[in-house]
Amino acid sequence: MNSIRKNKAFMAILYILVFLLLAEWLTPVITLTDTGHKTLFLVFIGISLLMAFLQVHWAISAGVKILFIMWFLINVYTETAFFSFEALGFILSDLRINVEALFSQDWAQTTDIFRTVLFFSLLWMAVYLIHYWVSFRLSIFLFYILTVIFIAVLDTFSPYNGDTAIVRIMVVGLMLAGLLHLARWLEGHRINETIERLAGFIIPLFLMVAVSTALALYLPKAGPLWPDPVPYITSFSGEGGPGPASVGRIGYGVDDSELGGSFLGDDTPAFRAEVEDGQYWKVETKDVYTTKGWELSEPGADPVLYSNGDLIETEFEPGAEDESLNAVLEMEQDFPFVLYPYGIESIQMEGEIRYSYSPVDQKIEPLLSGAPYEPDAVEIQFNQPTYSLTDLRETTVDKLAELPPEFDRYKQLPDELPQRVRDLAEEITMNSETVYDKARAVEDYFERNDFEYSLTNIPVPEEDEDYVDQFLFETKRGYCDNFSTSMVVLLRSLDIPARWVKGFNEGVQVDSDKERETEIYEVTNNNAHSWVEAYMPGVGWMLFEPTIGFTGSSEIDFDLDIESSDPEEQELPERPQQLELEEEEDAAAAASEGSNGPGLWERISEFVSEHKGAVFLGAAASVFLAVLLFLKRQRWLPKILVPYYRRRNGKQTFEKAYIRLLKQLDLYGIKREDGQTLMSYARYIDSFFGTKEMTRLTASYEQSVYGGRPESVEWRELKESWENLINRTSS
Amino acid sequence: MNPKDQLNKVIDNIEKVIIGKRDIAELSMVAMLSHGHVLLEDVPGVGKTMLVRALAKSVGADFKRIQFTPDLLPSDVVGVSIYNPKDMEFNFRPGPIMGNIILADEINRTSPKTQSSLLEAMEEASVTIDGVTMQIPKPFFVMATQNPIEYEGTYPLPEAQLDRFLLKIKMGYPTSKEEMEVLNRSQLSMPIEDLQSVISLEELLELQREAKNIKVDETIRSYIVDLARQTRNDPYVYLGVSPRGSIALMKSAQAYALLKGRDFVTPDDVQYLAKFVFGHRIMLRSEARYDGISAEEITERILTKTKVPVQRLVGQ
Repeated sequence: MNSIRKNKAFMAILYILVFLLLAEWLTPVITLTDTGHKTLFLVFIGISLLMAFLQVHWAISAGVKILFIMWFLINVYTETAFFSFEALGFILSDLRINVEALFSQDWAQTTDIFRTVLFFSLLWMAVYLIHYWVSFRLSIFLFYILTVIFIAVLDTFSPYNGDTAIVRIMVVGLMLAGLLHLARWLEGHRINETIERLAGFIIPLFLMVAVSTALALYLPKAGPLWPDPVPYITSFSGEGGPGPASVGRIGYGVDDSELGGSFLGDDTPAFRAEVEDGQYWKVETKDVYTTKGWELSEPGADPVLYSNGDLIETEFEPGAEDESLNAVLEMEQDFPFVLYPYGIESIQMEGEIRYSYSPVDQKIEPLLSGAPYEPDAVEIQFNQPTYSLTDLRETTVDKLAELPPEFDRYKQLPDELPQRVRDLAEEITMNSETVYDKARAVEDYFERNDFEYSLTNIPVPEEDEDYVDQFLFETKRGYCDNFSTSMVVLLRSLDIPARWVKGFNEGVQVDSDKERETEIYEVTNNNAHSWVEAYMPGVGWMLFEPTIGFTGSSEIDFDLDIESSDPEEQELPERPQQLELEEEEDAAAAASEGSNGPGLWERISEFVSEHKGAVFLGAAASVFLAVLLFLKRQRWLPKILVPYYRRRNGKQTFEKAYIRLLKQLDLYGIKREDGQTLMSYARYIDSFFGTKEMTRLTASYEQSVYGGRPESVEWRELKESWENLINRTSS
Repeated sequence: MNPKDQLNKVIDNIEKVIIGKRDIAELSMVAMLSHGHVLLEDVPGVGKTMLVRALAKSVGADFKRIQFTPDLLPSDVVGVSIYNPKDMEFNFRPGPIMGNIILADEINRTSPKTQSSLLEAMEEASVTIDGVTMQIPKPFFVMATQNPIEYEGTYPLPEAQLDRFLLKIKMGYPTSKEEMEVLNRSQLSMPIEDLQSVISLEELLELQREAKNIKVDETIRSYIVDLARQTRNDPYVYLGVSPRGSIALMKSAQAYALLKGRDFVTPDDVQYLAKFVFGHRIMLRSEARYDGISAEEITERILTKTKVPVQRLVGQ
């Protein structure tokens, strides 16, 4: 009866698969607990499984395991030789310490060695349990499910990354479950199989697992529904910060070389600003776009030093207002730089502070006797710059060519930048004449074209992908970095000098001071922001805010001679034209993508995400329908079965048809008990329906199966009886 | 004439004498066809002797009867060698066992020694006296009766010996209608006197050979084994059915199939006969007796529990 369990080759395959599964358990435990010597632990599992497989006597097996554990302890924790009194004494004294610790319930006193022993015992038990499941119960499902849950939970809630482990577990587990099912099935039917014939089962099983795995790997996968909680957990436990992982916590960072990825909100306060109106607080700019993010070019000019109250010269001319404004910043985080509004004039701080202004990135760093200083409070005089619309109207394109070479670094673009980005820039600005109009067209492009602001589910570009290209053409979804970087790149591809600005937006107004006519804003990490500065020839640098939902803008002086409504009239006819353009563009993009695979998948997933409700309802309806059909199969199945079996004439047809009839009768509600013979069941059926056909069919069936003479049964003669009965079951 | 008709003629013949006990007659035939012996257990006077005599007459066989008493000796059963002073030799005088159909009446009344001499002869179909083995003529069929109500002065048969009986049958009382018919027929003369044989001994031997050739499919065999194994695992059972019991079930099912005119055994045959084959082979624990559960009930329970094979085994 136990032939399959005695089949060494078959059992060997099972044990190898079990080993692989156990190794998947061990890996995260080892990784997460910072335990070394993974190989030795694996060797232990391997030895234990091997001995279980070879059915070594339990005493020998236990002896070998204990020896191994001893050797491990002595080898890893001491310098002494294995067979020595020192080693033995060491083990014994350690044992004494731990036993004492255990009895005094002083858990912290237990040594690493003792914990290692406990860990080994755990492994020992695990191996024994699995050995029992595999060899005696022929069932692994529970363990398999537990493994999947274990890895999934660890992957979700700990830094352990189970991306590949879960695939391996699926493959190994499916094979193991399949093989064990086969073994149970063989036993249940008392079939003694040779390994050659077993191969006939095993090879298709492996192929099936391989094919389904390959298919699953290549199918598109839905993104996670929730953001990964691990950074959140680690940020609370105070360990580490956002590393190169795909999710970071929002805030002011320094490294912008790899943009992308999702962000979690963080309302840790950064500073409080007391100012007349909300301002954008600039920190620095960056000029080199690398297809993945921003870097700073080599410094070309030396920083300029200023003292308290000195007039600081930036590239922004302070505005022409009569009185300059005052802003007081109370810092709640330590920043080694000054956050300054547009049109800054001077800075005031307590102490002998010098201010280093770098023309490369426009960063102002306070210095206390030459060393970087992190201020607690900053007072800034500023006067918001204003721009004359008349001047802006004269920013003709030909002036761009006359710009001095200092501006070249703001026109830099990587060679790999896809052509379609450049084409898009041309298209957006087709109907704009001046540089200013072009910049405004690009700024407005995002809002008019179904771009979506979101912090979550934002991809990091792959090795061969461009950050801007991905955002503009594929995801159309992102936060300030996506919008601002895209605008800079689009402007630069039109030869308009532009740069990427980092800082904070105005924050939230929490209070106001009526006497001094100021408002108090609280700025948190959530307000970390990036935007765009572009150079208008003849006018100067100007702020642009392409990010949807943000309100930063340059102050424009409508100093035109003509009516003030003119600019709007000019813009109005542009809009429909632009919309048409977009549609054409979309269609073209769709057409160019439709020809290859990913485009199709994208479009399917797009369709699904657009019609979520309908898809869900449809799925629910089809599931419901399927369940209904399954429950009511007794009604419709005969309609299919009758014509199917009517046309068949093979040797086995009658037996199959008869078994089908039994199932159908079962569905009808007349169940045959396990211990009921076919003939007594047939008599009951006949008395129930008032027929004689079931007895007749059963007699033939008995002759075929128990009498071993299927050839003596004429299906053609029995068809009518069979059809009669099976039709009764559907009524 | 096919086997079914032949056998039915015998049974009809018996029914002339034993009214309303067709199933008992059938079972007796089944035992005879599969070279087995029957243990009849019932109160006196329900027609046990009559059944055996009718059976013997119907097949034209030699009928012997041994009334077991406490003082009966083995030699009274198997025979004895007696010194003949004329020839100056021991002459063997065969005992009543040397017949075709033997009625061993009240077998539990005699000493174990005598019981065992009978049972040995049943098993071997031969007797050994003074070192000489003598074959008992074929067919050889023993129907032993035991009286279940009188325990005083009886020697219950040990398990090993019970196992040698193929079937254990209970006669039971006739219904009132049947009993009236019995009275009716017995008024003038006993009907047994007028009974004629309907088949010859040679025909009976031929039928025995045919019974052996009845097909027992693999599925049926595994069903029989399943049933036997179930009896060994039952919590109420002290000693389950032995492999000899499995063989008995298979052989009797073959004979029964022949009787029903089939050339293969069906699960129905097995289920029908299991009660008679297993009944005396299952030794119950005392718990079962306290709970009032009989071996027959346990067999019944196992029959309803065990899956009947309905499909051809895979790979056949």
